[in-house]
Amino acid sequence: MLKKLSVFVLLSVLALVLTTTSAQEPIELQFWHAMGGDLGEVVDELVARFNESQDEIVVTAVFQGSYDDTYNALLAALETDSMPNVTQNFDLATQTMLDFPGLLPANTQFGDDFDPSVFVPAVRDYYSDENGMVAMAFNSSTPILYYNAEIVAEAGVDLPDNDSLSFSELLEACDTIMANTDTQYCITFGQVGWYFEQILANSGGLYFNNDNGRTARASEVMFNQGLGVEVFTFLTDLMANGYAPNLGNTWTDTDATFLAGEAAMIFDSTAGARGFQEAAEFEVDTTYIPHADSAERNGVVIGGAALYLLDSGDEATNQAAWEFMRFMSQEPQQITWHTGTGYFPVRSSLQDNEELQTFWADNPNFLTAIQQLADTNTTLDDGAPNYAVLGGRAGPFPAIRQLIVTAYSRVLDDGLTPQEALDEAAAAANQELADYNAFFE
Amino acid sequence: MESSSQDLHSPWYGRRKLLKMLEGYAYLTPTLVVLSIFVFIPIISSFQLSLTRVAPFGNAVRYVGLENYERLLVRLINVEAAQTYLPYLLVALVLSVIAIIGYSILKHQPFGQYRSRLQYLIIFVVLVYIIAIVQGALRVSLIFTLGTTIPGITISVFLAIALSMPLRRFSWFHRLLIFVPIVISSAVTGVLFRWIYHPVVGYINYVLSLLGIDGPNWLSDADWAIVAIMLAVLWRQLGFNVIIALAGLQSISSTFYEAAKVDGANLWHQIRHITLPLLSPTLFFLFVINTINSLQVFGEIDVLTQGGPGETTRTLLYDIYFLAFRGTPQRGIASAESFVLFILIVILSVVQFRIANSRVHYQ
Repeated sequence: MLKKLSVFVLLSVLALVLTTTSAQEPIELQFWHAMGGDLGEVVDELVARFNESQDEIVVTAVFQGSYDDTYNALLAALETDSMPNVTQNFDLATQTMLDFPGLLPANTQFGDDFDPSVFVPAVRDYYSDENGMVAMAFNSSTPILYYNAEIVAEAGVDLPDNDSLSFSELLEACDTIMANTDTQYCITFGQVGWYFEQILANSGGLYFNNDNGRTARASEVMFNQGLGVEVFTFLTDLMANGYAPNLGNTWTDTDATFLAGEAAMIFDSTAGARGFQEAAEFEVDTTYIPHADSAERNGVVIGGAALYLLDSGDEATNQAAWEFMRFMSQEPQQITWHTGTGYFPVRSSLQDNEELQTFWADNPNFLTAIQQLADTNTTLDDGAPNYAVLGGRAGPFPAIRQLIVTAYSRVLDDGLTPQEALDEAAAAANQELADYNAFFE
Repeated sequence: MESSSQDLHSPWYGRRKLLKMLEGYAYLTPTLVVLSIFVFIPIISSFQLSLTRVAPFGNAVRYVGLENYERLLVRLINVEAAQTYLPYLLVALVLSVIAIIGYSILKHQPFGQYRSRLQYLIIFVVLVYIIAIVQGALRVSLIFTLGTTIPGITISVFLAIALSMPLRRFSWFHRLLIFVPIVISSAVTGVLFRWIYHPVVGYINYVLSLLGIDGPNWLSDADWAIVAIMLAVLWRQLGFNVIIALAGLQSISSTFYEAAKVDGANLWHQIRHITLPLLSPTLFFLFVINTINSLQVFGEIDVLTQGGPGETTRTLLYDIYFLAFRGTPQRGIASAESFVLFILIVILSVVQFRIANSRVHYQ
């Protein structure tokens, strides 16, 4: 009797303890991100919304600086065993994140109630491996061609609404603009690696071998062959022949040039749509980025960043972190994110969303990016994946992108031909790939 | 065994000596512990790191021996040019020796009297050779260091001489103007100069345009970017240099000048034959400090150009940072490069001290 009673008491105490702890102590999560300024404020708003939506999980958002800073903080955290639960990392770091020892692929947490097919295919596939999505696309952007509608109209040029010009069509438009208006430059863009990658993809060219590093680890770059040379020649010629000012490796000086009306067009990220709209004293219009003469338009690779789940060693915590990531990708949050920043919504269904339809009617430039991505041919005519627009994947991709930045300077400052500069970059890039792959031999 | 403490063979003596030694080390221990944790152990572990390749995704490390150093050699030194110019270097060295010997015979003086001149000639010839063969970040660092130290010290000496003249009623104001940059950090200097150099709203090009000059695009022109950073660093270091030079000037006794005036020396002669020689310990100190500071400039580069355009402003230090913390982290080769920088600073200091021994006049 006494024994039975004691067991009963013990059990009830245990039950009490269990229920109170689950009710009183929410799971605390750390979320590291690289969104500063206005973007960071939207992130904080979304995190606060998540914390208010339920009382079991509390997420603390920590701004860690640039993507590089965030990643270096993560490396340090790995060594000291103090990793966050969710971290943001940018597109090019996908392979490195896949190889990161603390990563828990998102697809391991998918329950029966989660359907990855709700995402825009290009976004979903970019962050997927053979088992499905490894990361949750968060802030996705693509490059578009912005143009000063007043200058273009004055020149009598008619740029297509939603289509991609070939290189020679763009040059023709440039000649007309520069002949018929007193605009100093036709176009401006920074010497960053991104536009080369994107225009190469739009022309159907591969950046890496092994299907852009998506069917096996990339061991060689392909950008110094055929299409790559055509694209790089086009980009460097724009600067060498006076169509574009040589402003170096910049994201901001080009904006100033465009906003001052000194250049009629600019390649820039869709994330800049709001900024241009607010800062420009003229009407800004947008269209797709161009493609090589020798190729059809293929589409663009998504850029931006994604959220990665890091293994805390505790199943409940991991599940909570996944809940947070899932929350961030849901419709209301994606609408706030898109309208607040210009990064596009990653769910296909949002293209029919009424709230966004109204928003896009007032802000048509936000729609161009979404349509450019929707118009992307992620499968080829024969049904095979179009690896060019799925985007390259390689461990040292960030370092390799930097080699393209140097290649611009080698052509424009040191007088190398585009082929020579790309060959030089390719030799260094292949060394980077070999060094990286050696860790897996 | 009984013996006096004077007995060197006594074990007591040995023990006392040991105790004395231990006592000394006990006093040193706190400092040694702090230095070990923050200096010696990191130096050793970064040397270990320089012999490895560290995976950018975290904890995998591969031992690669001297491979990082071999790669740096190819990155930093144009091996082809080094081989091509080597015969010229040897010929130039032999010619220097012959020239100095010839000069000593011509002057009927013993050769030993011209040893320091020979030393200079050799340092000059070797420096020219080094400038001809270095490339990449090492070249940028060398140009940057020469381009900030020499003009910086020259300007500050003349400013200090001007400031030390008891003429101006507003001299405190002028001193203030020159000293103000001392309290400004390198990052703030960078931000200030970003505005000054801005292609559209910058002051420099505005002032130049008033003079009818079409200013360059300071930060994105491959030739001007390094000059732009040199000017910013020069400005920031000027205050320190002038203070030190001023202190040096004030320690020169006025009797020398009075004597010179009596002998009819003009201002330039006074500067040339009194001020500069007696200022030489100060100049030497400034030269060493400025060289080391220039090799370690980071803030201005990071804020103004981040090593660009291309790699035209990527100094050794910035290259180390870039390899270790930007894009794909490569800690191994970055550690190796930091050792190269360390050795470079050691060599430069040794060379500078050698010059100092023969040339600097201490009062």
